[in-house]
Amino acid sequence: MLRAVSWLVYVFLYAPIAVLVVFSFNSERQTAVWQHFTLDWYRVLFRDKLIGHAVANSLVVGLVATVVATVIGTMAGLAMARHVFFGKRATRSLLYLPVIVPEIVVGAALVSLFGFIAMRLSLTTVILAHIAFSISYVALVVQARLTGFDWSLEEAAMDLGANRWQTFWRVTLPLIAPGVLAGALLVFTLSIDDYIITSFVAGPGATTLPLQIYSMVKTGVTPEINAVSTLLLVVTIGLIAAAQRLETSRR
Amino acid sequence: MKRRLQFWIGCAAVSSLWFSGCGGGDDDKRLNVYIWTNYITQELLDRFTAQTGIRVKFDVYDSNEAVLEKLASGASDYDIVVPTDYMVRILIKQGLLVPLDHGRLTNLGNITAKFRNPPFDPDNAHSVPYLWGTTGFAYNKTKVGAALDSWAAVFDERWKGRILMLDDMRECFGAALRVLGRSANSTNATELAAARDLLIKQKPLVKTYNSSDFAGILRSGDVWIAHGYNGELAKACDEDKNLAYVIPKEGCTVWMDNLCIPKSARHVEAAHTFINYMLEGKNIAAVVNATSYACANDAARLFIKPALLADPARYPDEATVKRCDFLDDLGESLQLRDRYWTEVKAK
Repeated sequence: MLRAVSWLVYVFLYAPIAVLVVFSFNSERQTAVWQHFTLDWYRVLFRDKLIGHAVANSLVVGLVATVVATVIGTMAGLAMARHVFFGKRATRSLLYLPVIVPEIVVGAALVSLFGFIAMRLSLTTVILAHIAFSISYVALVVQARLTGFDWSLEEAAMDLGANRWQTFWRVTLPLIAPGVLAGALLVFTLSIDDYIITSFVAGPGATTLPLQIYSMVKTGVTPEINAVSTLLLVVTIGLIAAAQRLETSRR
Repeated sequence: MKRRLQFWIGCAAVSSLWFSGCGGGDDDKRLNVYIWTNYITQELLDRFTAQTGIRVKFDVYDSNEAVLEKLASGASDYDIVVPTDYMVRILIKQGLLVPLDHGRLTNLGNITAKFRNPPFDPDNAHSVPYLWGTTGFAYNKTKVGAALDSWAAVFDERWKGRILMLDDMRECFGAALRVLGRSANSTNATELAAARDLLIKQKPLVKTYNSSDFAGILRSGDVWIAHGYNGELAKACDEDKNLAYVIPKEGCTVWMDNLCIPKSARHVEAAHTFINYMLEGKNIAAVVNATSYACANDAARLFIKPALLADPARYPDEATVKRCDFLDDLGESLQLRDRYWTEVKAK
């Protein structure tokens, strides 16, 4: 009985995705009817310049945002875990805020900020926006990793003659690396599929993959969209699997 | 105080500009276009660049509201937008469009006479027609087994559970008002209440309200009659000969998308060059052939595929077009309609 129920739950969760993947191989243009197997939509996809451009944009935004947000977020997480300072509680709440505030509010706020400082919307504003909403996630993950961290390890390293810089690179970072990496992957995943905030702050030539897919869906779902979604799915699952392996091998 | 804050935040923002490696360059030789999905071809843009040396970046949107949102933000960097009639009216009202310099638009004379001086933009002061179409319905001839020519069809008990309506207040009220013999742009409270009652009565007959995949659902056979825009429905009719598109005898909505230049545009001269380029018959005809929508350009007729020109779903005859109207600005009565529409949807 329990087994049947859990299978049903799995079906409920994954059936839409399975349908999406299956229909990316359908020869018929309309998604509702199955004709026969074809790879044509993947061919169409690889020739589609617009999608290629959107993928490139998404990768640039995702990579830059991941690197910058991971560095800043890790610093913030370390500072929060290590030090006691005036206004720490307030700072912590501020750090949580971007995670809680609805995306649509963040998007609208960013657009008015860019308007206020007379900064034209472009790919740069997309990157800045993604960094802004990502830092908190990294800080939270790193902070979680640091609960119960044995600070005497750092002290031991410094007793043995390492300066702060060496201690960080040789002792602290390797220990918290899984947390940092998890944070980085989280940021990349969030960035690559963000629609709402990006739609607010995107400027000329800054159409990312989710924006492109959404605008294509409006004129009817073609199997080409299924194909690009399938590839996105494969990449995301691959990344997560890699991260999990990395994390377990580190332990 | 505000200046100072502006300065410092500006500094922070500028210092991060290296990300996109922008700035510098021949700034007059660029053009940023914001246009509907599948509404222009890359080939046409490449030819424009070859002819003029102006490099084009283009992005796509899927609703008029997206254009309004971008332009109203004040941070937009687009030089050309392509809003629909009613949105042109709103953008003009909000002062978000630049008046066009007709002196630079030497191909202006190509515009079909009846589409000049549209009600939403007198004298084409801010806009030039791009593509236009109608909002009627298409039906499956075999399944229905009768020839339909009236809006009464979408209110007919016989097709219960086989009707799709656009999820759109203006269009649904338009259909109801027309079948009642009223103007689709009516602002009369009694007429609107009657239309509301008719739409509530229609609701059990409607399988689904859908604005994005109406043609696909009609083709799948889930519905037999689908209310919708002619572009997608005409394509569905090409693919399935059992389907037919109808502009009902009571008339229907005609819509038009238009080339406009936003106030925030930085390449106004290049934008005029682009509009003039799109007014050339051969160029707009290439768009028509690719999208299968109609254009309002006499010089284009020579270059449009004859099959498209001959199709009444795309190029209805003069008399049919006379029966169709643009959506008007409803002013205050819009709120009443919105309330009635909520009542229909909530039933």
